[in-house]
Amino acid sequence: MTAGDIVEYVVKSAIIIVFLLTAFAYMTLYERKLVGRVQVRHGPNRVGPGGLLQPVADGVKLLFKQAITPRGVDFPLYILAPAISVVAALVTFAVIPVGPGGVNLFGYRTDLWLADLDVGVLFVLAMSSLGVYGIVLAGYASNSKYSLLGGLRASAQLISYELSLGLSLVGVLMLTGSLSLNDIVNGQGGTWLGFIPRWYILVQPLAFIIYAISGVAETNRAPFDLVEAEQELVGGYHTEYTGLRFALFFMAEYINMVTISALAATLFLGGWRGPFFGGPWWLLLKIALLLTGYVLLRATLPRLRYDQLMHFGWRVLLPLSLLNIVITAIGIVLLG
Amino acid sequence: MDWATIIFYLLAAVAVLTAAGVVFARNPVHSAFALVISFLNVAGIYVLLGAEFLAAVQVIVYTGAILVLFLFVIMLVRPEDLRELNTAPRVQTALAWLLGLALFAELGLVIATGVLTGARGPYPPEEVAAAGGNTQLIGRILYSEFLLPFEVASLVLLVAVVAAVILGLPDRFLTGERARGLSLSLGHPTGADRVLEAERRGVPAVDAPDLGEPGTIDTGRAPVGAGRGR
Repeated sequence: MTAGDIVEYVVKSAIIIVFLLTAFAYMTLYERKLVGRVQVRHGPNRVGPGGLLQPVADGVKLLFKQAITPRGVDFPLYILAPAISVVAALVTFAVIPVGPGGVNLFGYRTDLWLADLDVGVLFVLAMSSLGVYGIVLAGYASNSKYSLLGGLRASAQLISYELSLGLSLVGVLMLTGSLSLNDIVNGQGGTWLGFIPRWYILVQPLAFIIYAISGVAETNRAPFDLVEAEQELVGGYHTEYTGLRFALFFMAEYINMVTISALAATLFLGGWRGPFFGGPWWLLLKIALLLTGYVLLRATLPRLRYDQLMHFGWRVLLPLSLLNIVITAIGIVLLG
Repeated sequence: MDWATIIFYLLAAVAVLTAAGVVFARNPVHSAFALVISFLNVAGIYVLLGAEFLAAVQVIVYTGAILVLFLFVIMLVRPEDLRELNTAPRVQTALAWLLGLALFAELGLVIATGVLTGARGPYPPEEVAAAGGNTQLIGRILYSEFLLPFEVASLVLLVAVVAAVILGLPDRFLTGERARGLSLSLGHPTGADRVLEAERRGVPAVDAPDLGEPGTIDTGRAPVGAGRGR
């Protein structure tokens, strides 16, 4: 590995991180605006033109807030927990290809992905399973009953839905025969009958639905946001966090949403491939579309009860994802 | 020293230090978390060895599933209760020291004699690359050469799953006297257990209010409806 390679990786990582942080900031504004529209309100519109500078104002406010540490916390873990959440959320994006390989950028030949791992899909699952630690440790270290219960709920939910999330990907992996996200995107190139793109959502519709539902549950978003059910648990695992430390948890949640959407786009919607033009713009468009779905879900659906959540995960989604694997296997054998 | 060696020593040092932390930490949650870090570093060493699949599975299975459940249990048990776990019998302590020292001596002997690397295995990196990578090769070997151990392992896991389901079943799914002895109360509503227990002993399950003679007022008795309590 030469010095030039290292510089390339650093620059790419910086671009991804800046993109994700910007996406986080403006996702909060977009969500508030859209939920406002659904509820026949305006949403934030005071800071900057049309409220466009609202995320900046929020960021500055959170930065300068007093960092309150409650008495009796387990300090090392208390500080570490939000950091684990954010790192696990950021790292996942490293394997998502945003464009074709071998592109000329400013006279420099490079690939539009940070890493093309042989085990890309497994890497994503591994990192998302690490994110659980941030939540569990925050719940434990805060020395508060609300936090502890929120943390326990979160971990139970994540473990349950991770299974169906992972199994829903197996169908795609069977079709591609590879764990590399790059191969999966390339497997979706071309069209049927000249105009229908060969996206996996068309051959794996059930898997996509299971993935989408589990993805919402994995990011602890409505209607699966029992983890931070304010009527029961105050704020859940981040009850005792203030200022920047709280912002980190918030950041992790939104970055996870972006990543889950980017993965859905990559695995089921052809990634950066699309008609008329290819490359990062298609991926951005698909991510934006899926994120809008997230917000509309939140604006329309009430929260599930905890037992409903568990039953749905184990008794509906898990058997369905296994059924999908069986159907896919039969299909592959019969149709070659 | 090249980069790979430096990174290896970094990973190995953190893995060993955190492994020591698992043993020496006072707080069981700290112990479990140190184990998480240790496992992650071992996964890093797998990556250095070119075994990406093993590394990913190590993270998913050990740190992502098993240790989260560990933490789960530890967090639900009060730390005061956990102290009692440390009261191992003397024999066990002595045995632990003996076996530990024996292992240490063996390791020292191996390092001193300098034969750290064994014979070259049947799957050197070139062969792995020729077979289409780590994941493919592991899958192929697991389902051909090691099919029997693989299936036996899955059978063992199946037994454990069935046992867990039986233990966790609420009483109403089990019928008959024998089945009752099989189930274990895992915090289901205690009322049901109490009624069953009372039925078995042939006593009334619920304290009937002692109404006495109508018209008499006995102030010494508990008010009607309060039962006798427990």
